Amino acid sequence: MAVIEVKNLTKTFKTHRKEPGLLGSIKGLFWREAFYNEAVKAVSFSLEEGELVGFLGPNGAGKTTLLKMLSGILTPTFGEVRVLGFIPGERDRAYQRQFAIVMGQKNQLWWDLPPAESFALNRDIYGVDPKTFQSALDEMVSLLDLKDLLNVPVRQLSLGQRMKCELVAALLHQPKVLFLDEPTIGLDVISQEKIRGFIQEYNRLKRTTVLLTSHYMKDVEQLCRRVLVINHGRIVYDGSLEDLSHRYIDHKVIKIRFASPQAAAVLSGMEGVVELDAHHAVLKVKKKEVAQTTHRLLGRLPIEDLSVEEVEVDEVIRRIFEEQPSKEGG
Amino acid sequence: MKRWVNKGARTMVRYLSLYRSFLTHNLKNEMIYRANFAIAVVMDIFFMGVNVVFFAILYANVETIGGWNFHQTMVLVGSVGVVREIAYLTFRQGFLELGEYIRTGRFDAMLTAPMAPNAHLAFRHVSLTESLGEGLMGLALVGYGFAHLPEAAWSSIPFYLVMLINSLLIYYAFCLMINSAVFWLVKSQELNTVVYYFIDTARYPREIYRGMGKAFFTFIVPSSLIATTPAAILTGRANGELVILSLGVAAVLLSLGLAVWNWSLQHYSSASS
Repeated sequence: MAVIEVKNLTKTFKTHRKEPGLLGSIKGLFWREAFYNEAVKAVSFSLEEGELVGFLGPNGAGKTTLLKMLSGILTPTFGEVRVLGFIPGERDRAYQRQFAIVMGQKNQLWWDLPPAESFALNRDIYGVDPKTFQSALDEMVSLLDLKDLLNVPVRQLSLGQRMKCELVAALLHQPKVLFLDEPTIGLDVISQEKIRGFIQEYNRLKRTTVLLTSHYMKDVEQLCRRVLVINHGRIVYDGSLEDLSHRYIDHKVIKIRFASPQAAAVLSGMEGVVELDAHHAVLKVKKKEVAQTTHRLLGRLPIEDLSVEEVEVDEVIRRIFEEQPSKEGG
Repeated sequence: MKRWVNKGARTMVRYLSLYRSFLTHNLKNEMIYRANFAIAVVMDIFFMGVNVVFFAILYANVETIGGWNFHQTMVLVGSVGVVREIAYLTFRQGFLELGEYIRTGRFDAMLTAPMAPNAHLAFRHVSLTESLGEGLMGLALVGYGFAHLPEAAWSSIPFYLVMLINSLLIYYAFCLMINSAVFWLVKSQELNTVVYYFIDTARYPREIYRGMGKAFFTFIVPSSLIATTPAAILTGRANGELVILSLGVAAVLLSLGLAVWNWSLQHYSSASS
């Protein structure tokens, strides 16, 4: 049975347009133009137990709105959601004990108290028995290397340290489903790496079903075998990362370093050249022509180094997002 | 029936223990800001003092107000302070901060945790200090008035406490209803200033109101019941009608308040991140 099942899910927000300036504000007091913004449009997908799936999409694509519906913060306008057999919008306590949501931009810990205090409070809220609590805590503290931070006030922690603590606070009740909204946002590369490693390890150890959103391709590349790409509230792709590039990208990139500058002149004007100077060139070449082109280049030009590379996933995603003209989103 | 009672008792025990956890956390938190604490207490005592002076001047000119003599009024005014302090110790502060919780998205966490969002909001910031001076001074005034009233009976104290709790429920229900609007306005300060001034009127005896005014301060803004009912009991002025009215208003307002609150939660649109 699927752990998460979403069918035809739609969320519409009613918002009001306000004219700019003070006059606009005064006008707005008496008459406002309402308009409806479909943040999520007829989305369907399902997740099996233990899957770690990434949600990709630009700002305002509807990722967070979706996570909020899955966790019962928002109720859907249309459509169906079921997580672990529960309807999240009913906010059943039994469901709430079995999932967690962590938002990278939001702080749930008590600011002036050490994280250990926030953890203890969560233990009471979730009704975790002290033994289970302690072993879960010990395990995560060692995985995340947090031992020295447990008794430092949260306000004195770095962003990366705080994020680790947020994760611990959310996982103390050992949820079966975990929603992560931008867990690595604003973190330095090393902290990102640590958080990613932890999520991966935790998913492997506990078989927790994880749905994560991120701006950082690396998060998704490293963690998720399956991605859901969402744009303007619609799921435009559901599958593996590799297939994604196969489907949307029909070319590879050839990078060349010349042995002598005159080679550059030969290439100028040639089809597919995207970058060119006296020492380097970058070419975009159709996949089936790669072998032939490489052969020709090597034969004709004084080349010091040549490499053939896949288009980066970033680029793939950008392509998908550029397919539809961008409009105002929520 | 028995099952319901059992379930109710279990819920009660759970929320009492949750309250204790939250209270401990808040006390630890408040101790970090000791200077604030002292200033708050001194200010509270000062304003309660102003209140007493105000009534002392009034009573220099009149024998009774709405049938209440000076010492009975002191019990009344003191009861307002006690109610306010207990409110801060249980639920009031959460409402003041609701707008900010919604703006920052922290309210979202209250909707995903396995406890009632209104209890979570109430307990998140229980404040001992916010109204402590008012509470202590209130208690002192109640004691002072009580000691000077020959008709006052010790046996009325338990009943006084029961009606004090009833008053807190009325106050709470009123806050729930008013604050349900915060989900649309995303600002709680102004609304709660309104609540503050309404509850302030609780220090006048209910008997001073007539006709429409009386109905307004009973059913729309139930402030005329909040202090008058418990104080009337302690000062031997109570009648069955007043007690039943207070209990009834509490029951109706609380059901209504919870209904409005829960309806608002269903239509909550969350801050965009």
